Amino acid sequence: MRTVDLLERRRQGWHELDSMCDKYRNFSSLKKPTAAEVTRFAALYRAACTDLAMAENLKLPPTTLDYLHRLVGRAHSHLYRSHRLPTSLWWTYVFETMPKAVFNDPCVKITGVIFFGLFSLAALLSWAEGTFPKFGETILGKEQIQQLEGSFAKPLSGNIDQYASMAAFYIQHNTSIGLECFALGPLLIPSLFKLAYNAIVLGASFGYMARPEIAAGDTFFEFVTAHGVFELTAISLSAAAGLRLGIGWIVTNGLSRLDAFRVSAKKALPIILVAVALFILAAFTEGFISPSPLPYAVKALFAIVSASLLMFYFVILGYPSDLESNSEESVI
Amino acid sequence: MLASFYTGPIQFGPLNSVPIDLMSPRNAIDLTATITTPENIQFEYRIAGPFRRIPAFLVDLLVRFIAFLAIFVAVACSGITQLFPFLSQFATIGVVILLTYFFIDWFYGVFFETYWNGRTIGKWISKIQVISVDGRPISAYQATIRNFLRLADLAPMMSLAAIFANDAPPFLFPTGLVAILCMVFTTRFQRLGDLAAGTMVVVDERAWVPPKVKLEDPRVASLSELIPANFMMSRSMVRAVALYAERRMRMPMARRMELSAILAAPLMAQLGLREDTSPDLFLCALYYREFVAKPIAITDSTSVDVGIPISQATPVLDTAGPKPVSHESTSTPPPDLAPYPQIPNGQQIPNGEYP
Repeated sequence: MRTVDLLERRRQGWHELDSMCDKYRNFSSLKKPTAAEVTRFAALYRAACTDLAMAENLKLPPTTLDYLHRLVGRAHSHLYRSHRLPTSLWWTYVFETMPKAVFNDPCVKITGVIFFGLFSLAALLSWAEGTFPKFGETILGKEQIQQLEGSFAKPLSGNIDQYASMAAFYIQHNTSIGLECFALGPLLIPSLFKLAYNAIVLGASFGYMARPEIAAGDTFFEFVTAHGVFELTAISLSAAAGLRLGIGWIVTNGLSRLDAFRVSAKKALPIILVAVALFILAAFTEGFISPSPLPYAVKALFAIVSASLLMFYFVILGYPSDLESNSEESVI
Repeated sequence: MLASFYTGPIQFGPLNSVPIDLMSPRNAIDLTATITTPENIQFEYRIAGPFRRIPAFLVDLLVRFIAFLAIFVAVACSGITQLFPFLSQFATIGVVILLTYFFIDWFYGVFFETYWNGRTIGKWISKIQVISVDGRPISAYQATIRNFLRLADLAPMMSLAAIFANDAPPFLFPTGLVAILCMVFTTRFQRLGDLAAGTMVVVDERAWVPPKVKLEDPRVASLSELIPANFMMSRSMVRAVALYAERRMRMPMARRMELSAILAAPLMAQLGLREDTSPDLFLCALYYREFVAKPIAITDSTSVDVGIPISQATPVLDTAGPKPVSHESTSTPPPDLAPYPQIPNGQQIPNGEYP
């Protein structure tokens, strides 16, 4: 047995494996391969692996070795395919992993303080016209104030067409902002800037509309009551997920920076998924309940119920069990 | 302390360091990632660089745009709007467009990479694929993270006002500098999203198939016997000779002479062969000596596809070379973690020859 004879005998199998790989990467791969094909593929793959492992002993030419490396790599990634969504686990994920991730993450507290702190501060400054004149007007600008007052000048009413379009718009627009806040997290500054910007502008609008002399104020608060709980929480949470990502570069907990970043991404994903879910809930509320001429009591009740549900979800479901609380690190 | 500092000349690297073996996978400056499977088989993936990935990204952008348009047209023309009698046609189209835009924008990559083995349509066209850095397939979690973080990779956004002085388009243009810088500074060309998800993008393409070597000249065999028996080629030289032998059939004679002389001329002088020997013939003789004349020590199984029984393929061998002689050598050696492979024909594998 010489190298050339061996190459001659092996070549056919290698080429067959290669063309099977070609076949499976095309659209025909959507059709499930037959059992015979799978067995044949696995046998060819194992043979190629053996040849690769024995390359030194078989005295394969280096170029053939290179070819084998690529071939085995290709076949490996066709044999071991990507996992689909683990649908059997979604209940555990939604009702255990996600609330616990939110409850136990210090970043949620930090962005909560930043967001609601800046929000309240801006609202106060904007409301107290006598003490801080022109604050609200400077932050919001003339055009935005006119637009704000204009859209709430008339009492709330609408038809189903408007409701559906508004809900779809809010899903697209607000959820995208939340996801952007998360995606820019690794760069840290843009994410925090987006959070602070939203807090100050929203706070200033709330404060401005709360001034006693603004006529549109009542309608405004009637509008925002129902969806405010979901939406403000969602903004804060999406920034928390972004901050968790960005913090991974800085607080490494003894890992290398890259590993810490990877670990923090794993921690951030459930938080942003909660935020996305809340954004979508908020969009439906904002589309269908907020602009409707329902009595204010119903909207207020909705806000109270949604707040209690969130409390239940985050605190009761998210509270760490004894085992976990011992192992959980208290550092960021 | 100070005095000892000045006693001798400062030694720089080459004087006391081992020469770098560029052929070993650890030092090679090429674009491969080595994966070790649980069966202890090592193989290499070719990593896809930016010039494969940018076209894939652009194709995906186009596909997303076309998909969006197609859905828009389909909704507007079909009777889907009749399914929601409580909504006007205009509102239905609006709702569908907004939701389609949202889901295509954020979940196109997630969906395709999860359900199509780490590929999107753009990646399929430029023949690349996403896998985990440890060689395993990508999971839904990894696909989500790496696609959500694309926005950070496209940063910073640039206004086109710098290019179009007066009539700049009203949107911001993503520069992708973050992704490019990230790729430059990581060994596997990973962008930020890849780093967070622990993934890399590899080439999924039929590799260059080494053709069958034809040594048509009958003098090759006799020339190879003139080469001294104790002449051993280094790994890099074996590689060069094999590459040459496999590619020479495509070259004209003059080119063969020119290329082969670079390696053959100094070697022939060293081995004391006649100067008028054809360098092409000499390299063919080297190839013949290495791959044709030498028998390899295996008993080949009968069928082509089964190859060698897996029990022979245990690649765990002592690679440390000869053991140092010390006082410990008299004690019993530690038990082997894996049995030595059974070598047919009673041959011994010398220590250190295994990879």
